[in-house]
Amino acid sequence: MTSAIATTPNRTPAKPFYFNTSAHLMRITRQKANTLGEFLEALHECPDGSIFQHSFRTLQEHHFIREGFSNDFAHWTLSACNEPSLAESLASVDVREFTSITELRERFIQIVENFLQRSSAAGTRFAKETFYFCASDTVVIPTSFVARTLQEFAAGLRGVSVHSVHHHFIEARLRLKLMSNDFSQWLYEDMGLTEVARQLNRLDIYTVTLDDVREQIIRIVERALI
Amino acid sequence: MEPIETQIANEVATQDSQPDTSASSSSPAAPAREERRKHPRRTWETPPAPVPAPLLDDYRSIVGAADIDELRFLARELKGKTVKMVNSTAVGGGVAEMLNQLVPLFNEVEVKTNWEVITGGNDFFEVTKAFHNALQGSDYTLTQHARDIFLMHNEQNRQRIQFSEDVIVIHDPQPAALIRDCQPSSRRWIWRCHIDLSSPNPEVWGFLRPFIEQYDAAIFSSPSFSRQLAIPQYLFYPCIDPLSEKNKDLDDSYVQQVCDEFGIDRSRPIVTQVSRFDRAKDPVGVVQAFKQARKYVDCQLVLAGGGASDDPEGSAVLKEVKEAAGEDPDIIILDLPPWCALEINALQRASTLIVQKSIREGFGLTVTEALWKGKPTIAGAVGGIPNQIIHKLTGALVHSVEGCAYQMRYLLTHPDFAKQLGKNGREHVKENFLMTTNLRRWLLLIRILLANGGK
Repeated sequence: MTSAIATTPNRTPAKPFYFNTSAHLMRITRQKANTLGEFLEALHECPDGSIFQHSFRTLQEHHFIREGFSNDFAHWTLSACNEPSLAESLASVDVREFTSITELRERFIQIVENFLQRSSAAGTRFAKETFYFCASDTVVIPTSFVARTLQEFAAGLRGVSVHSVHHHFIEARLRLKLMSNDFSQWLYEDMGLTEVARQLNRLDIYTVTLDDVREQIIRIVERALI
Repeated sequence: MEPIETQIANEVATQDSQPDTSASSSSPAAPAREERRKHPRRTWETPPAPVPAPLLDDYRSIVGAADIDELRFLARELKGKTVKMVNSTAVGGGVAEMLNQLVPLFNEVEVKTNWEVITGGNDFFEVTKAFHNALQGSDYTLTQHARDIFLMHNEQNRQRIQFSEDVIVIHDPQPAALIRDCQPSSRRWIWRCHIDLSSPNPEVWGFLRPFIEQYDAAIFSSPSFSRQLAIPQYLFYPCIDPLSEKNKDLDDSYVQQVCDEFGIDRSRPIVTQVSRFDRAKDPVGVVQAFKQARKYVDCQLVLAGGGASDDPEGSAVLKEVKEAAGEDPDIIILDLPPWCALEINALQRASTLIVQKSIREGFGLTVTEALWKGKPTIAGAVGGIPNQIIHKLTGALVHSVEGCAYQMRYLLTHPDFAKQLGKNGREHVKENFLMTTNLRRWLLLIRILLANGGK
């Protein structure tokens, strides 16, 4: 499907886009790991909020780093367990390929299980630091930005915090249960801008900062305004 | 020549430096610097007047308008709710400092908050100091007498203080038993533990734990500081105030003035450790690392701290540091009084690298301060420091004198990488360790507890 970009600026959406944001509080859970064996066990037992915290949330917390930090599990297995191949496998997990925490948890478990099958001695070796599983308690809050046009949408993107960008662009798939995000959904469903929606969905969030992602989104949206 | 020491807290000048004959202080300004080191201007001998607490909008230019607006939206649903903070001291110490800034911010967002300080005699504070040390791992035998004193003073305060607010926050162990015999109600009680409970004295922890488990939630500064408890535990990192004297932006002319006063040459790289003279901060290890690094790269070392004038151990450590420094004119040792926040700020800003080579540490707020100033930072991988420094991403973690020396050499000779570390470190602090983030965490916790009914 292609969109009629030339008429885009004056297009009126079926419903406005309300920019929200999410605020997260870290809860310390009972699970902790001193070995990869304990880590695997904790991956099975920890609350969903822990999987979210150490993958989706950590990406947000380290949004300013371009290289080498995709999730806490990968970071710990490299820095504390000195297992680079396991760390690479865990780091390659793209949270945007998952629409549920259950699937994401299974993927992490599968990677660690496969590694320990190949390197069983690694399962009982003590890590340099303990991994403490934390969980995220989330509160969604509104912002003052509402978009009723594409111009207002671009202005909202510029005005909100990176937390709001993360909320709509990255966390959204867990809410939507779709391989998409709030921005693309609105652009596609309410503005009819299918190609713009697709372009946003293809952005790489792991090799740039979240501010860079925001800039790229704005550029794509502004091109549709021309 | 003696190592350079500026003993400001003491009225009597102690410097007895001989004329400089070394080759390393080679710039034309060196004689003037030497003179300054011997006779500092001493503009900081008396404490400055207290500075009013900032308003929320004062942070707008630092964290961005969107973040401040989000805080106001977050607080909107708590409008009219009331909070009481209780701790054991009104002045001095990190908790009082933090409450002095946090309480006005709560009130500004219309969450009416008051702050009570518990009272007690010397006997009570002797017991609570012993508890404080024991909870952080010191040997201690808990007597019935100590229990009685602790409970008696808590009970007296419980009778004196009104607990009518929606949320009561008790800071640290001293007032922990105020919750005793509290009747079930919609009121929420939070215990904020600022100390490291990872290896507590079992007797003291066994005595306090039943009180703690009556609270609706506990807060710790690091997951590793927490205990297994029957109540929810939350993670609140300690924070710094970017508008405080210690952290606010400074004119470069002031930074230059402070360096001139202390005889520091800004035309050469400056490596600085700011911390009291305490073996846990390994200042002797810093001197050793500096001496190793300087074989390869020109630099000066500034050790700025305090605690030597009023603490016998501090004096002993200072003596060890001076012995380790020997007659090195590039090692500048400053024993500063506690109110020298602006001078410390200037020294950090003047630095090329900042070191915090601790071998034991709480959270390590001097690391936070260094990162906030965008300085490439090398620090010991202990306590809360790994929460702040992600190795090679927001700074460099080290485990030995040799490792510290190597990182000094590497970062001094790779300025682009060092600059990127400093930039990332500042963003990390902005995201996690500022006063505004602290306010956000408090508002969130109160919303969650009042909505969920606590336990």
